[in-house]
Amino acid sequence: MLRETDRHFKFDWLTIILFFLLVGFGWVNILSASHSGDAIELFNFSHSYSKQLIFIGLSVVLIIFILSLEAKFYERFSSIFYLISIVSLVGLFIFGKNINGATSWYAIGSMTLQPSEFAKTATALAVAKYLSDLNTDIKSFSDQLKLFGIIVLPALLILLQKDAGSTLVYSAFFFVLYREGLPQIYLVIAVLAVLLSISALKFGLIITLLVTAFIVLTHHFTRKKRPSFFQPLVVILISGALAFTVRFIYQNFLPVHQKDRITIWLSLEKDPVKLKQMKQTIAYNLNESEKAISNGGFAGKGFLQGTRTTGNFVPEQHTDYIFTTVGEEWGFIGSTLTVIVFVLLIVRVIILAERQKNQFSRMYGYAVASILFIHFNINIGMVMGLIPTIGIPLPFFSYGGSGLWGFTILLFIFIKLDSNRINEW
Amino acid sequence: MAVNEKNILNRLYFVAGCMFIFAIAVVVKLLSIQFIQGDKYKALVEESNIKEVSIPANRGNVYSADGSLLATSIPKYDIRFDAITPTDKRFKEYLTPLSEALSKYSGKSVSYYKKELQKARANKNRYYLLARNIGYSEYLKFRSFPLLELGPYKGGLIVEQYVKREHPLGEVAQRTIGYERVDDEGNITRAGIDGAFGSDYLRGTDGKRIKQKIGKGQWKPITVDNEVEPKDGYDVYTTIDVNIQDIAHHALLEQLEKYEAEHGTVVVMEVKTGEIRAISNLGRTSKNTYYEKRNYAVYEAHEPGSTFKLMTLMAALEDKKVDTSDVIDTGNGYKVFYGRGIKDSHGYGKISAARAFEVSSNIGLATIVDKAYAKNPERFLNILSQWNLDKKLNISIKGEGEPMIPKPGHKNWSRNALPSLAYGYGLKITPLQTLTFYNAVANNGVMVKPRFIREVRNLDEKIEVFEKEIINEKICSDQTLKKAKTMLENVVKRGTGTSLYSDYFSMGGKTGTARTEYWHKDWSKNPRYISSFAGYFPADNPKYSCIVIIHKPSVKKGFYGADVSGPVFKKIAQKIFTDTPIVDEVETLEVKTAKVEKEYKTYYDIANRYKTIMPDVRGLPIMDAVALLENMGLKVKIEGVGVVENQSISKGTKVKKNQTIVLKA
Repeated sequence: MLRETDRHFKFDWLTIILFFLLVGFGWVNILSASHSGDAIELFNFSHSYSKQLIFIGLSVVLIIFILSLEAKFYERFSSIFYLISIVSLVGLFIFGKNINGATSWYAIGSMTLQPSEFAKTATALAVAKYLSDLNTDIKSFSDQLKLFGIIVLPALLILLQKDAGSTLVYSAFFFVLYREGLPQIYLVIAVLAVLLSISALKFGLIITLLVTAFIVLTHHFTRKKRPSFFQPLVVILISGALAFTVRFIYQNFLPVHQKDRITIWLSLEKDPVKLKQMKQTIAYNLNESEKAISNGGFAGKGFLQGTRTTGNFVPEQHTDYIFTTVGEEWGFIGSTLTVIVFVLLIVRVIILAERQKNQFSRMYGYAVASILFIHFNINIGMVMGLIPTIGIPLPFFSYGGSGLWGFTILLFIFIKLDSNRINEW
Repeated sequence: MAVNEKNILNRLYFVAGCMFIFAIAVVVKLLSIQFIQGDKYKALVEESNIKEVSIPANRGNVYSADGSLLATSIPKYDIRFDAITPTDKRFKEYLTPLSEALSKYSGKSVSYYKKELQKARANKNRYYLLARNIGYSEYLKFRSFPLLELGPYKGGLIVEQYVKREHPLGEVAQRTIGYERVDDEGNITRAGIDGAFGSDYLRGTDGKRIKQKIGKGQWKPITVDNEVEPKDGYDVYTTIDVNIQDIAHHALLEQLEKYEAEHGTVVVMEVKTGEIRAISNLGRTSKNTYYEKRNYAVYEAHEPGSTFKLMTLMAALEDKKVDTSDVIDTGNGYKVFYGRGIKDSHGYGKISAARAFEVSSNIGLATIVDKAYAKNPERFLNILSQWNLDKKLNISIKGEGEPMIPKPGHKNWSRNALPSLAYGYGLKITPLQTLTFYNAVANNGVMVKPRFIREVRNLDEKIEVFEKEIINEKICSDQTLKKAKTMLENVVKRGTGTSLYSDYFSMGGKTGTARTEYWHKDWSKNPRYISSFAGYFPADNPKYSCIVIIHKPSVKKGFYGADVSGPVFKKIAQKIFTDTPIVDEVETLEVKTAKVEKEYKTYYDIANRYKTIMPDVRGLPIMDAVALLENMGLKVKIEGVGVVENQSISKGTKVKKNQTIVLKA
């Protein structure tokens, strides 16, 4: 047993430093993005950057609180947290406030709170708890089903509130399950299904089916131990059905804005007039953000010097599109450094997770890394047009209290769990 | 947990690998955006970042010959209200005072506005219309209303300014003053003087200025100076005389109303110079009122009827095929030419050629022309062509009608064409062409082109002066001219125009009563005529020529040229002859001082005396007052019609350019 005073030094300071680096640099960029040429007034709380300063201050309080609680508390009460977050998500249907088309906020006075940001943490705790239970066997189908249930329930509730971006984040748990021994076939199927869907949209049904058939049959005939011919046929049929369904949903059921985002991403629109129109409407944001990033060049325009940033060219620049500020004002160097710091943080969390002796802590750590990874992926990918536009925040960077606190809680519970690993076993 | 260590490590590497690959992808994409495609994006940035803004030039004014404003561009305003912008507190606080102010302005009730404004706010209407097309002084009023005075960001005031072409003298000669309109697709519709001189003089050139985007919807000029300074349009001084125009307009209007005619036109031209002093074109609306509908005088080529007899007889006289004293047998009023009967209103028997003209005998003229030219119609047509009657005048105003005179060998020619031509049928000619010919007769054979513009000015600098243009130096011998003039005078003294005769002044002219649409089957049941009168005055030393054409008067009320169109001519002649201060007729001026003339004189006196001191315009006709004050550089807002009763700036006050004055009538 260590003495009480030593305990504080067992926190992983590298992670904490990386966290503050990101939050600090994030705030600098929020300042750039939300201020438009007038004098900077740090304590005028009508400015986004001043508000964010408060959010950061409060998150420090939150950190102290999280770290001062008993580590076991999180494991023991994980089911309660999960329940509370589910209830809060359901409650949105009754009390929720609609902002930008999604009913994902509770409004308390002028404050708004987004429960989905906290539900991620709760789900991570619940998944880790359930998976680390001695009676759970990830190879058993019924346990797989229960795990899926735990993950899909909040995801579904969030999807019903028309926040498709946040729903997608729940795919992060797939990595956790995979790491913990989910059969390989799930991953293969998932990757193939995604490839198949993209191909069906981009190249059309016939080409996709021909290629699929070619691969499947080649595989079938080169196998030494050939199963019945029935098997590849079923694979081709299912692939065909999937490809058809994807196209059908894309053409008939997808909301227009989502459809257009995919159209832009895969460059499906050939008519130059319509394409130009799309660039001015649906792809306006992407177009503007790419222009802003391009404007930065190698070394960037410098702090508060980005013309397109101070000119408010990029809508939502201080929230989801905050990375464009980095691109314009800090250039290639700044952006790359930001990416490196993010990768360092995620890798550090994975390394920490790997050294956990307690299964709950390890799995939770994995969940943290995966969630951060997915957020980082989707956000930066979207800003640069690598993937279709999906509106989720960049962790620690984007403006907003709920987001910052959600990620702070997510990360610091893990730091607390990690600090306690000596006491485990 | 039946996963072995190696497997786990592999999976760990796989997950880490995914992240690494993605991080690499991000960096690669960054490189691509910032360096490889950098130029493409930079071009995009430039394109959307900098724009060229055009600074519209002020359009020049159109003035009458005496300097009255006929057309000018003035700013107009639409006032709208953004019902969302004001805060709840402000909206509640100002709702009643604002409604009261609006009610006082428009006369609608306070509760009406309260309800409307609340509705607008409830419906989130950010563009609620408060007033449309108002002048500067009213716009100022709106700007001082409660709530709106807080401006666009707090009070929700939206002001849209645009420039409108206004005609201070109202409808008078509107069609000739015209307009130039550009629609959304850039097509330009041009009418009248404003249209004809738009691109060369009035329009000016728009300036250019390059602006840079500094934020959402905010643009700032890049440099201090404009790239291209706007050049305001030049002012165009027309030949229109406001007083003569006024007389002509009202004389025509009165007659059209009296005879319930379909449309009519009157043109007054100065004999020596060809300057158009007045031109009025009135058409009937569905409500039986008249307005400046189309420029009939310029565009409407039609069968002239008997006014054309002057041309045919003069051709024969000049060609020595006939003399005025030659006896022509007009018989009992019915004579067959090549199987077609020609009728006169009476049987005149054997009369002289001159008399045949005076009583407007169709048979007489047909006989003369047929006898002289049946074997060689080209010779006759050649003379008409020398007089330019088969060609357009090529005046500055667009849309001139195409004249048509039949020619042998063409399908419009038959053996009857020649006798028909003799009394003005089977050809088409515009009123302005007929007038040009009569004017040439009055002008001792010098045919001048009708002109609408005297000069173009840029402030006091003369940009271009339009001299008179001569179409034909001498259309015929003095002998022929003398004979023609005598006959024209006799038409009024003892011919078809005796009803127009006046002891006080002399004039020469020819009546015309042409059938129109006689090719329609219902003509015999419902006969339609074009009544006309063309001539000049005074007879001995002609100053003005004038043509009056009235289409389809109500036959029950009368249709003869002398009855329908003649009186308009007479009224114009009489008024001009007696009222207009013409220097070499000073005596006449002193003898008769009519009311109109007095007004005119007052106007001129004031115009010459006052430049920067506010004159007393009370008692002046409101249009005169507008012209006067606008010429002083003031912005005039009028309320009511008639004579000025009240002026917002009192007499003797020093005034500044662009100051606004309100006149009440």
